[in-house]
Amino acid sequence: MSQGDFPARRPQGAAFAIAAGLAAVAGVLLWDAAGLKQDGGYAGVGPADVPRLVAYGLLLLSGFTVIAGLRGELPQPPRQAPAPVLWILGGLGLQLVLLHPVGFVPASALLFAMTARGFGQKPLWRNIAVGLVLALAVYAVFDRLLKLNLPGGPLEQLIFQG
Amino acid sequence: MESFNLLLQGLATALQPMILLYALVGVTLGTAVGVLPGIGPALTVALLLPVTYGLDPAGSIIMFAGIYYGGMYGGSTTSILLNTPGESASIVTAIEGNRMARAGRAGPALATAAIGSFVAGLIATLLLAFLAPQVVKLALTLGPREYFALMVLAFVTVSATFGDSALRGLTSLFIGLALACVGIDGLSGAARLTFDVPQLMDGIETTTLAVALFALGEALAVAAMITPPDALHRVTGSVKMTASDWQRSWKAWLRGTFIGFPIGSMPAGGADVASFLSYAVEKKLAKHPEEFGHGAIEGVAGPEAANNAAAAGTLVPLLTLGLPTTATAAIMLAGFQQFGLQPGPLLFVMNAELVWGLIAALLVANVMLVVLNLPLIGLWIRLLTIPRPWLYAGIMVFATLGCIGLNPSPVELGMLILFGIMGYGLRLYGYPVAPVVVGLILGPMAEQQLRRALAIAQGDWTTLVSTPVAAILLLISALFLLVPIVLRFAGRGQVLSAVAGDSD
Amino acid sequence: MKHALLGAAFAAALAIPAYAQDYTIMAPAAPGGGWDGTARAMQDVMQAEGIAASVEVINVPGAGGTVGLAQFAADSAGDPTKLIVGGYVMVGAVLTNASPVTLKDVTPIARLTGDTQAIVVPATSDIQSLGDLVAKLQADPGAVSWAGGSAGGTDHITVGLLAKAAGVDPTKINYVAFSGGGEAMAAILGNQVTAGVSSVGEFAEQVKAGTMRLLAVSSAERLDGIDAPTIKEAGFDVVVQNWRMVAAAPGLNDEQKAKIAADIEKLNGSAGWGKVLADKGWANTYLAGDAFGAQLDADIAATEAVLRDIGLVK
Repeated sequence: MSQGDFPARRPQGAAFAIAAGLAAVAGVLLWDAAGLKQDGGYAGVGPADVPRLVAYGLLLLSGFTVIAGLRGELPQPPRQAPAPVLWILGGLGLQLVLLHPVGFVPASALLFAMTARGFGQKPLWRNIAVGLVLALAVYAVFDRLLKLNLPGGPLEQLIFQG
Repeated sequence: MESFNLLLQGLATALQPMILLYALVGVTLGTAVGVLPGIGPALTVALLLPVTYGLDPAGSIIMFAGIYYGGMYGGSTTSILLNTPGESASIVTAIEGNRMARAGRAGPALATAAIGSFVAGLIATLLLAFLAPQVVKLALTLGPREYFALMVLAFVTVSATFGDSALRGLTSLFIGLALACVGIDGLSGAARLTFDVPQLMDGIETTTLAVALFALGEALAVAAMITPPDALHRVTGSVKMTASDWQRSWKAWLRGTFIGFPIGSMPAGGADVASFLSYAVEKKLAKHPEEFGHGAIEGVAGPEAANNAAAAGTLVPLLTLGLPTTATAAIMLAGFQQFGLQPGPLLFVMNAELVWGLIAALLVANVMLVVLNLPLIGLWIRLLTIPRPWLYAGIMVFATLGCIGLNPSPVELGMLILFGIMGYGLRLYGYPVAPVVVGLILGPMAEQQLRRALAIAQGDWTTLVSTPVAAILLLISALFLLVPIVLRFAGRGQVLSAVAGDSD
Repeated sequence: MKHALLGAAFAAALAIPAYAQDYTIMAPAAPGGGWDGTARAMQDVMQAEGIAASVEVINVPGAGGTVGLAQFAADSAGDPTKLIVGGYVMVGAVLTNASPVTLKDVTPIARLTGDTQAIVVPATSDIQSLGDLVAKLQADPGAVSWAGGSAGGTDHITVGLLAKAAGVDPTKINYVAFSGGGEAMAAILGNQVTAGVSSVGEFAEQVKAGTMRLLAVSSAERLDGIDAPTIKEAGFDVVVQNWRMVAAAPGLNDEQKAKIAADIEKLNGSAGWGKVLADKGWANTYLAGDAFGAQLDADIAATEAVLRDIGLVK
């Protein structure tokens, strides 16, 4: 939300991006507040006032961040390797998409496998196998035993409904 | 002596076999998860929250108590053996503890941490039991304006007073406050920032945000790191402490306890401040100050005790005022609310049995921890040898499980991922994470108290400072906000950044 | 072996509906609340009494139940195994949130339990009766602050109805919403507000302990064991009940509806359910069929009118 940039070579640039992000959040707050009915009742403070106040605060902080960036006061982040981040985010995205169509166990197994791959564990098929075992155990404990409602697909039906 | 009787009744509740079992499961899970590198108590509690959904309120809250204390305990083991403190309060433990481990004295370091935690936990929990009813009596006379002032104070101390940058602390806080605006406004019923997405109506779930920032953010940051982390130090030799170790530890435990508890119980700083202060005190009082930095046992004993005492201390504002002052407390509050229980003075009146059962369960959990963990240290260490890819992959599955179990909607999971990316970004640029979580949970409370105070006074703003308590609290908040900024301008920033905390 | 197991599972799946139907009950709230408690109590009793072979509870929290209601209406149309728990709060929430899905989009089966509302003042207050309180309200509505649950909820509606009955403009009431009964109670006990409104059970302990004075209850008749007049007796025509109900999916045929209604009636008549109500302190307000339908329509109309009066629904 406040940042969209991963490996930044110049911290200054990052500071401007962060400041822009904060200002954008402030903008959204102000835009939303403008659409609210302004009725504070006896308090005199209505539903739109506090979001406005937060937005002004964010704008102020955004300004200070620009100043800090110009002075180079932001800490320099260490060099980042983008590939592992993409593996993990890919795993999360796949889980999100597959959760309801195919169920909790396969979707989570894939998340597990891709995270492990992101941390350098190969081969992928073995990660998937380990992930399946873990996800099945988690499903058994949480859905069956603790009665949480985890989305089930054909695999869960086959193993647990019998 | 009223507290004493109530505590005895609580013990009667807590010693029922089922409740004991819940506490046992709680401490075991809490320790096991807390031991994992990079996982602090806040994340431990957040990750294990789903385990308690299926239980009745009493059972789950008691399990909670076990998880909380277990997570604290597990964290210190990791910082001693791995030098990767899962939370800022363990940073000091890591300084001396890890040095001791490198010198082959991991056993005594773990032992003094464990026994110190026990001593501090015991004393601090008893103090909690005796102090809480007094605070409750006081709290019943507080109205919306006093609560508003208390929350302003918490905002300031969490974000601006400590930490190496007031700018970044406040930025984190305001991100949390902005997120807090999402959802239906409790006082007018107006839907804010929901963009017609029904799942946003109830606002952003604290646990979703906390798990995303702590677990996903941490996993992404660790994965993207190019330098390999520290190696694990094997425990060689005996776990037993020598006579001289005991001699040097016990005073440090007591001092740590009495430094930690007051700091934790004030609606201000968390455990990190307490442990740094204890470290400084021990260094000053030590007979062999030259040992500090090379593995001085007092430097483990004191801060570890202070850390645990402060953790028990944070339960005072949480239980009596409903005011979370750390990220862990914020998640505990979310857990309470899950069961329709609103911590605050009325909890002691309405659910006295439950509250005293909880306090008694903390005592029981504390005993269980020391009895179980001294012999089981070897087992916990084995958890540390899980290869990191499996470990973090497992953490990801559990992180998403909490979210899916609560609300299996793609919107919720999508938010988890977004906040995870945000957490990674915050970590990358040195923004503290705890103020975001505290802002999210305290933001709506502060807003509602403000508007309630004004509604009762029919729009008269002077009502906010019309009682001494409210006026003084707001004055202290202003001082806490301005003094550090002045100090930093005067070049005294190092003192404050020495007590910097970033995760809890 | 695998085939044999599969075959057995398949046979079992086919066989079960013959004698007892499985149900999935949606609690449109987070685990732990009143609706969740109702759904889980139904689950336990229906399984224990053999009304259903297997009952599952799912939680879809959000926005006074309207998030769950919307999902239920969309996903379970025509499915006779799906049930949803709801209540009076949902009626208000549908209106205040301008929810596109309403209770008309599901098939209400029966009202199960209910709570009566109570109006209290701190024991130290100089207000002795509902008449005193209303006199104050009529003199200066802003000076009477009311503590209660969320905006547009049952507590707010009660105050709105009382104001209207007393000839006071409902938009002028100074209603201070708290997020739960507990928080509102702290404000009442701390003498921060003039009066408080919540369910009778919520205040019972404090009234007994003498820290609060119970002015009136919102039921049609006086309640057993509670020494307070009804609002009606005090001269204001207001009866409010915070009820909970169970509804089935939209698009069912009459036979399916009758089967579900019969199961719920069996539930209501069971010893297990009686014990649950006694344990939880819920009143049995069972009402089914056309009588419930008529009551529901009346409640919705009355609620919409009062929310419009309070200014929460435009």
